[in-house]
Amino acid sequence: MASLRTANRAMFWRIIRRLLGANRGRLFVMLLALGAGAAVTSALLNLQIDAKRRLTTEFRAFGPNILITPGPDPQRTWSPTLPDSLVASVASALPGKDVNAVGFLYVFSNVRVGKLHGPGPYDDPSKLPLRAVIVGYSSEAFLHLLPHGTLEASQPLGYKTPLCYIGASVALRLKANARDSIALNPWNDCFVQEVDTYGGPEDSQIFVDLETAQRIAGLPGAISLVEARISGTSQQVEEATRAVQRQIPGADVRAVRQFTEGEAKIYNRISGLLTATVGIVLLLTGLCVMAAMTNVAMERKMDVGLMKAIGGSMRRVLRLFLAEAALLGLAGGVIGAALGIFLSIGLGKAVFGVAARPRLIVYPVAVVLTVIVAILSAFPLRRLASIRPASVFRGEA
Amino acid sequence: MFLRLVADSFGRRPRHKLLTGAALALGMGVATAALSVSLDVGDRLAKEFRSLGANLLVTPQADSLPLEIGGVDYRPVNAGAYLPEADLPKLKTIFWHNNIIAFAPILEDQATVFVDVPSANLNSLRSYVTLHPAEPRPVSIIGTWAQHKVSLSDGSTFVTGIDKTNPWWQVEGRWFNETSSECLVGQALARRMGLHVGQRIFLGGSGPHVILRSSLPEFLVTGILTTESSEDQAVILPLSAAQKLSERPGQYRNLYVSALTKPEDDFGRRDPKTMNAADLERWSCSPYVSSIAYSIKQVLPGADVRVIRRVAEGEGQILTRVRMLLWLVTGAALLAAALAVGASSAASVIERRTEIGLMKALGAGSGTVGFLLAAEQLLLAFVGGGTGYALGIVLARLLGERIFGAAPEPSAIVFLVIVALAIGVTLLGSAIPLRRASRYEPAPILRGE
Repeated sequence: MASLRTANRAMFWRIIRRLLGANRGRLFVMLLALGAGAAVTSALLNLQIDAKRRLTTEFRAFGPNILITPGPDPQRTWSPTLPDSLVASVASALPGKDVNAVGFLYVFSNVRVGKLHGPGPYDDPSKLPLRAVIVGYSSEAFLHLLPHGTLEASQPLGYKTPLCYIGASVALRLKANARDSIALNPWNDCFVQEVDTYGGPEDSQIFVDLETAQRIAGLPGAISLVEARISGTSQQVEEATRAVQRQIPGADVRAVRQFTEGEAKIYNRISGLLTATVGIVLLLTGLCVMAAMTNVAMERKMDVGLMKAIGGSMRRVLRLFLAEAALLGLAGGVIGAALGIFLSIGLGKAVFGVAARPRLIVYPVAVVLTVIVAILSAFPLRRLASIRPASVFRGEA
Repeated sequence: MFLRLVADSFGRRPRHKLLTGAALALGMGVATAALSVSLDVGDRLAKEFRSLGANLLVTPQADSLPLEIGGVDYRPVNAGAYLPEADLPKLKTIFWHNNIIAFAPILEDQATVFVDVPSANLNSLRSYVTLHPAEPRPVSIIGTWAQHKVSLSDGSTFVTGIDKTNPWWQVEGRWFNETSSECLVGQALARRMGLHVGQRIFLGGSGPHVILRSSLPEFLVTGILTTESSEDQAVILPLSAAQKLSERPGQYRNLYVSALTKPEDDFGRRDPKTMNAADLERWSCSPYVSSIAYSIKQVLPGADVRVIRRVAEGEGQILTRVRMLLWLVTGAALLAAALAVGASSAASVIERRTEIGLMKALGAGSGTVGFLLAAEQLLLAFVGGGTGYALGIVLARLLGERIFGAAPEPSAIVFLVIVALAIGVTLLGSAIPLRRASRYEPAPILRGE
């Protein structure tokens, strides 16, 4: 009995081998279809998982999404401030997160400009100073935090004099260019490193390092607010906001609604598109295999007729063909998923500029989906069930 | 004879033709859906990005330097320049008027909020005629448009306002009606002063502490505004009311414009002043955010139009990425569709070996046989492609509605591309089997080998 089953199984595999080998061209087309389907599916699934991370990184261009301001102040001081040590505690409140937090100190001052190779700031006594907002930044990372376009930039000067980054409106009013010097007050100068346009209040501000601003304000160790960018979904940002609030109970920590809401919406749209595409690709793979299988069904009338004539039951014959389809699906899926790794790296590079990180879970899912599609698209073989051996051999049908 | 053969082939084996046609129609349907969704997706996403708010800011050119910290302008009230409100309908006359989806002028000022005196503290007669400031310090007031009807020169009206440019502003209650004396109160201010919807407040300069009720304009609070930014501390009221309060009739200071744009590339970032005439024309005929800014500047004299980098930059980057992603994906879908259709037309040729053998035995040349089969395939491609297009439009509608809540418009370009693709892939798919068929020796085939 056991030997009969072994013999049966050996026969089963032999037939499968012969069936697969019968038409190399078609085998190639089916493997190509299934492989391409699996490759695109796994690449897109990978990209979809990765897109979340990538897009949230991409959303960085929207600037800060968390704002920390001095909390409600019982004494009602005119200009409440925060200690500048707070900037470091924002990052420490969110361990393992990609955080860009910059503290800013705002101070009004009367400024004058001195031209490069021209008159200095105080050479022309008739020129009135301009009242402007001077902003001290705790780190140069503010340039990555606040989206801007650079109108003019100077080579690094390498002097001891502090550098400043001025907004477009200030530059226009002062008629200042890069490398000019600006007297922030009678005791503090800076060299204009860049003229930037922001399209916001920053256009009328002068950015200098925090110590200079604190000296001008006479507020050592103080900042007005902290702006931070945390990459993540809107829920993650909300959670981060609460975590920071717990760390700094005295301050007022808020998520910037304008962007967190829009980001979530846009992310959902894009993710929906990718899912729809995976569906489309699987459908097309199915169609392709189905077309090939219709072909198979036509060609194998003789084989099936013979099998039936020598006593094969229809169930066993169909099982044979389904096993063939599953095997094809498995082979196509494995080859395709392997190709998908490279495809997703390529796609990730083309779309996001960085290779997508391969996720191992994606590949088994893609293989299983391909096998399912292959078995489902063996549907045309159902027609074989109605074959009558006698009429096939007579050459009718 | 030729036509009869083709007609006969369709009539004799309707099921076979139907099967190939169905595969073709399905493949082309999916391709149509993918193509129309991705053609449409740029516009849809661009619209979606408008939920991030305005991307252009218009300010008076002659304005003094704003002294703005944390959303509050510390300039003296009389400093700076203003722009005329009467010019605003011109925004909808520029070349890109269809791309401008909303705009809202802003006039900011300071005012003291007065409320009814609680009658418990003072005698009842006085509470009818006098008011108390809710807080000694003045608060910001923001005059703007909400659901404002702008009459355009062509006789139509355009409804716009801050509710369109800043859709993330949440109003608990409802927006003010511009024709009646109503206002919104920022959430933080409402909490601090204990204001609620339905209450009446009075706005005035910082006068004496007790003031006559009849001397101040009265506003009904119709909603509490939450923006999580400086507007939470302000009173928002119709622009006309703010103009009256600050004695600046028909004027505004800032204008937010929300425009649909094309992501900026290197060409879009160039300075229009350095371009030659041809480049300038190409530049101003692309809806780059900077070229829209340029054309707005031309209709609003004395205005300075700046791109809000925070919004525009991120939008441009993400739109470029998503577009590229979709083109790649559409390419993959088209390739898969071509593969599916090619395979099915290959199958239909192989299937007819006997027929080809017979034709050859009766003296038909390889060319004639190939031509006949190709004609049949072409007919099939037309029918299948057309059906597929119709099918694909339905599929695209479903997808578009699921993903964006709006269906993409059927477009003629997609139809042409799909029919061309159908013809291309059926011919290509049948080319290899046809070549093989033309080499068939009739005798072995007719013998059934």
